[in-house]
Amino acid sequence: MAAQTRTANRHHRIIIWSLLLLVAATLLLPLIPYAMDYVDPSGTVPNPGADLWRDVRNGNIGTSQVLGVDAGVLINDNGERWRHFRMNQLIPVGAMFMGSVLALIVLFYLVRGPLRIQGGATGKMIRRFSVFERTTHWFTVGLFWLLALTGLILLYGRFVLIPVLGPEGFGLTASACKEAHNLFGPMFLVALLMMFFTFVKDNIYARGDMTWLLKGGGMLGGDHVSAGRFNAGEKIWFWIAMIGGAVLIGSGFVLDFAVFGQGREVMAISHVLHGIAALIVITVSFGHIYLGTAGVEGTIGSMVNGEVDEAWAKSHHDRWYAEVKAAEGGGENEESAGGTAATGVASPARDA
Amino acid sequence: MARMKFLCDAERCIECNACVTACKNENEVPWGVNRRRVVTIHDGSPGERSLSVACMHCSDAPCAAVCPVDCFYTTDDGVVLHDKDICIGCGYCFYACPFGAPQFPVAEAFGQRGKMDKCTFCAGGPLPDNSPEEYSKYGANRLAEGKLPLCAEMCATRALIAGDGDTVSDIFRERVTWRGSSGFAHGWGVAYKNQHRDSKGKAVEGKAAGGD
Repeated sequence: MAAQTRTANRHHRIIIWSLLLLVAATLLLPLIPYAMDYVDPSGTVPNPGADLWRDVRNGNIGTSQVLGVDAGVLINDNGERWRHFRMNQLIPVGAMFMGSVLALIVLFYLVRGPLRIQGGATGKMIRRFSVFERTTHWFTVGLFWLLALTGLILLYGRFVLIPVLGPEGFGLTASACKEAHNLFGPMFLVALLMMFFTFVKDNIYARGDMTWLLKGGGMLGGDHVSAGRFNAGEKIWFWIAMIGGAVLIGSGFVLDFAVFGQGREVMAISHVLHGIAALIVITVSFGHIYLGTAGVEGTIGSMVNGEVDEAWAKSHHDRWYAEVKAAEGGGENEESAGGTAATGVASPARDA
Repeated sequence: MARMKFLCDAERCIECNACVTACKNENEVPWGVNRRRVVTIHDGSPGERSLSVACMHCSDAPCAAVCPVDCFYTTDDGVVLHDKDICIGCGYCFYACPFGAPQFPVAEAFGQRGKMDKCTFCAGGPLPDNSPEEYSKYGANRLAEGKLPLCAEMCATRALIAGDGDTVSDIFRERVTWRGSSGFAHGWGVAYKNQHRDSKGKAVEGKAAGGD
């Protein structure tokens, strides 16, 4: 009897443990692949769908039966970046930059007034710019402002001119500006090359330029600072215009001739360079225009009939004045001419 | 008022280009212009998928933001259209668009492009509905006739769906639930990221307060 009970109890235990083992196996065995994956994740098969969308977002080029520039790109992320640059940076920062420089110039004029010729005009004129130099200058000026104004209208017209002209009227204006900008733009290369070869000789750094700069060109008070044909400020303007002009022409050609299959990214980068260079050159030109006209008495004549007063030359460009006199071979300035020649700056007036 | 949207289901698109052809035929688009195109990713490899893309009629459309002459406008149906009488063909909308939707009939030296042309959601343009002038400039105005864009109507596999955004997403959600895979609606995150819901839970167009 006792033996029978023991056997029955053993059977019960076996059944219970077997059941528990079955339940445990059912629960745990399916976890083995997960456990293996946890220990060695390299065997994971990625979801092909996830890969696809990641590639789409990264601008992975697909194929399309439709031919066209960038037709295989599903999402152009640079578009949003370019939009942000144009609408939130170039337009507002450019306006503030130009506006504040203009305001500073007006303020300077009101506070200091024009710089008069020291000791008054003598009435004796000397030749500063030849006909060819003046033609080069005014040709560049005309072309530059044609391009600058049409460009500024395309950049700011939406905010400034649509309220005045209405959408249709401004559409017509903007269309004319775009055509003029695109057609006359390439000619600026000619103007820039003429400017460069005409004026580069006198715009190389020379001894005395650093002194001129450190003294602020004498504009901040104090005496006139010694200068050659062009002072350091004029030389800096020359190189800003040349480098800015080269960037404008390079990027302009990319934008104007979209026939070489250049994509949106190249166009957007060119537009960024074009906009920044244009706004810098335009803004710095305000200073150049001020100093050439209202800012310094007697300067405008050098670009109108090519002549300046001797007193003007002596006070603003003393070394150049001495060179001109020396080249004329006049006896009265021999002393100062000799002194200038020793500085090593050789720049005879072109058609003296 | 409906808010019109496109959705292309990559699990269904078979790259047959019927949408492209239907669009060209229905709208008589200029030679060289394709308002819609099919792009295939991983062509010929496992995981190959195709998508039909055109203008997505964005909530805060980048094309409209950068346009120097402000020639874009959004209709009450949420369709982004433009006025070809104002467009100057500068190409800026093409640089800004995430989808490559704006097209130009010519590409010549000195920035000659012609007037921009893009998908109108078969909603014509600013001229009188279904007038010959509207048709020649902008193509068909099926929306004014109570019809949806022909590309989606033509789609044999129903990969391309067009219509009110809520209806379109309901259809797509049901599909995703049934097949249990790939619920990615191409372009929706980019095109409608600025859409938000007001206090009553109604979808509101445009950006949240502030910003560009």
